Amino acid sequence: MSSTSHEVARGPHHNSGAASTALSAHSIDKKFPGVLANDSVDFDVRAGEVHTLLGENGAGKSTLAAVLCGLYQPDAGYLMRNGKRINLSSPRAGLQHGIAMVHQHFRLVERFSVSENVILGSRDLPFKLNRRDINEKVASVAESYGLPIDPNATVGDLSVGQRQRVEIVKALYQGAEILLLDEPTAVLVPSEVEKLFENVHAMTAAGKSIVFISHKLGEVVEISDRVTVLRNGRVTGHVSGRGTTDTKELARLMVGRDIELNAQRATHATGHEILQIRNLSLSVENVAVLSDISFNVHAGEMVGIAGVAGNGQRELADTIAGLISPTSGSVSISGAMTTDCGPIQAREVGLAYVPEDRLGMGLVPSMTILDNLLLTRDRKVVVDRVSVRPEATRLIEQFEIKANGPDHLARKLSGGNAQKVLLARELSGGRSATKLLVVCSPTRGLDVGAIETVRRLLNDARRAGQAILLISEDLDEVLSLSDRVFVLYRGAVVLETPGESAQLSQVGAAMAGLANEGRS
Amino acid sequence: MMRIPFRVVFEQRGETPRRLSLLVPLASVLAALFFGALFLLATGYSPIDTYTNMFRDGFASFNGITDTLALSTVLICTGISAAFAFQMNLYNIGGEGQLYLGLIGGAWAGIALGDHLPTLIMVPIVLLCGALAGAAWIFVPAFVRSRLGTSEIVSTLLLTYIGASLIKHVIYTPDSFFRNPNTSFPQGRRVADSASLDSFGSSRLYPTFFVALIIAGALYWIVKRTEFGYRINVISDSPRAAHYAGINARRTTIWVMLISGALSGLAGAMLIVGPYGKIEPSIITLGYGYAGIVVAALARNNLGLIIVSGILFSGLRVGGNNLQVTTDTPIHIGVMLQGAILLFALGGEAFRRYHIHVVRVQDATARKAAV
Repeated sequence: MSSTSHEVARGPHHNSGAASTALSAHSIDKKFPGVLANDSVDFDVRAGEVHTLLGENGAGKSTLAAVLCGLYQPDAGYLMRNGKRINLSSPRAGLQHGIAMVHQHFRLVERFSVSENVILGSRDLPFKLNRRDINEKVASVAESYGLPIDPNATVGDLSVGQRQRVEIVKALYQGAEILLLDEPTAVLVPSEVEKLFENVHAMTAAGKSIVFISHKLGEVVEISDRVTVLRNGRVTGHVSGRGTTDTKELARLMVGRDIELNAQRATHATGHEILQIRNLSLSVENVAVLSDISFNVHAGEMVGIAGVAGNGQRELADTIAGLISPTSGSVSISGAMTTDCGPIQAREVGLAYVPEDRLGMGLVPSMTILDNLLLTRDRKVVVDRVSVRPEATRLIEQFEIKANGPDHLARKLSGGNAQKVLLARELSGGRSATKLLVVCSPTRGLDVGAIETVRRLLNDARRAGQAILLISEDLDEVLSLSDRVFVLYRGAVVLETPGESAQLSQVGAAMAGLANEGRS
Repeated sequence: MMRIPFRVVFEQRGETPRRLSLLVPLASVLAALFFGALFLLATGYSPIDTYTNMFRDGFASFNGITDTLALSTVLICTGISAAFAFQMNLYNIGGEGQLYLGLIGGAWAGIALGDHLPTLIMVPIVLLCGALAGAAWIFVPAFVRSRLGTSEIVSTLLLTYIGASLIKHVIYTPDSFFRNPNTSFPQGRRVADSASLDSFGSSRLYPTFFVALIIAGALYWIVKRTEFGYRINVISDSPRAAHYAGINARRTTIWVMLISGALSGLAGAMLIVGPYGKIEPSIITLGYGYAGIVVAALARNNLGLIIVSGILFSGLRVGGNNLQVTTDTPIHIGVMLQGAILLFALGGEAFRRYHIHVVRVQDATARKAAV
């Protein structure tokens, strides 16, 4: 089965360094019910290099990474470490061969200190721990790769970037030679990404191998020595050479067609005020979550809210949508006061809301597309599905939703298609014509093709005169789509800037809480 | 090193193949019968004779089938009661207690209103009073569940014991309203003649059977087709989506529990207008309310299947109980067989949800190395 023809163009970089192959995978097959997640995939990483696995969601990157670290056993194919065939029955076996994975969702005990987390899972610890020795060793490992961290700090008090550092230190402490970083930048602010990349260089300089998993083209080009592109479980290309790579070419390999990468701002044609927020504050259990927020969004305008997750974005959106009552302040939508009115009244004056959590909040997973379209509409006592069916069919066609029809279950939709269903429902209006659209992280976790469609839909809606509030952690998205950008930090607006002339460094600093100029 | 050469692997199915939905229950029943046969053989009874008798007495004779349908009248109601609450992931374990209250409520109406109204009006009033009494019995658990999140499992269950005491109280208290004043024996007072229905011919089957069928159909329709059912489905699947859409989960929780309680109460009232005609204190030993939970579980809480599972379960029970009468088989064998069939039927679920295969360990490692 391994003899299937498998022709992939290799870059010229192939034999440049003297570095030997540290880990290689040969003709890996991995099946899941109904999916061939890896289809005779070849992959190798040399000592001292960064080799990126690039692909859309569901392309098979995470599956391959799980095979490489011993989490999954391949159905066919094998791994070689330093030229010898190895068989990884578990992640522990992977670790014994010096292979460690840094997961996207950290696996740390928040109540434990850094060094306690680092030694967690080690089997050869003495009964009585010598904390001073351990702390010293953890600190020295951390420092030698430029990862300064206090071994005594409690993990629960650390920022996301610092927690990631703990995960990396843990892998290094355990003797990892090959580190698999699964979407490591997804949770970081720009300055933290920069710091991470410095750490990655320090590690490769020390001879470690890094397998970098990502679908963000810009950073892939910046950090990688080589790139392997996956699509539908197959390798579609290898590209070599740092910084010399064309992102368009990578995108084409990833998606299988040419795509428009740069989101275009729609025309400026702002009308009257649709959303008015006045002195909005919210405290939850005496902790201020939102403090004194005021701004307007006009018809035909897109206002972006940038910020690191957990700085009040979700609460702001929920408050506007009538799901949370603010402690003080007011929200009005096209002239009607909707503070404390609940989601149904807010929708009656033109609100539409696409929450961050698509399946489970925006959509009911076990229900059909048809029933999900009814979720935010006026349902009669006896639900009239017959008359909604033609509209459902039309929306599926219009929004290019890949589904078997209106009776397709929401949970069986891909992330991109679920998002399209949600947008189709919210943009098509329910209790009244949509005037204000609040969208949270509309493209999070979507593949490049779906991102393109979703952004186009948002721009179309805005050209049609809808006011849009775009709340997203994807800074590029916010900056490239919005007319005006607000940065939210600890529940307060710390920066307002026009989207077109916004400076990345200034916005990034504000997101990290370093803004000193306040609102202009 | 010694190693077990086989490993059993449970692999979750993405989708249950349609043929399995039919095959698995059938195979489960056959396996249960086989298991029961081993028991029967070991205790010296003929499996074939026992099964033939059970089947005949449960389904294949006039008395058998009418008794089965008569019992299913009650069990379909308590079954929907449990399954309906479960539509919103609520566990009404106290159907038993609500049934007692239905008995008391129905008997109260049947006695207090006297023999003034025609049967066609009187019987619905008795049934309604029973349902209201059942709903009243679950009101406090429903209220505290929706406001404070108090476990309805515990509160409804505990109220059942109070309900049983209440039945004893109204029958054993000397000058109780519900007690037959003409005898010194603790017996219930008969309801008015207009509150009693006649059974069909020589059978023990009452027209309330059709009421149960209509109720089952109506509840199915409510959940599938109405706004109320839509709300139930949203809340049970994702409470956050309900919040997002402005659906009031608290109010819906209370309504669903009240309806569930009313259905169990209705089952009690059906005994008043049907076979009992009075409060029968032995009701607290029969466990019809608890049996409803089993009926619901057997139908996998699918409201469309409650009628089928209710009749099947009743047939098993009637057939099993009759073993003692028609043959010399002790009743415990019948009870054991009922239990075995239920256990196997529910255990068969694993085969529907998982793909189970046995892997030879050597094979698995050899396959990895062979490439």
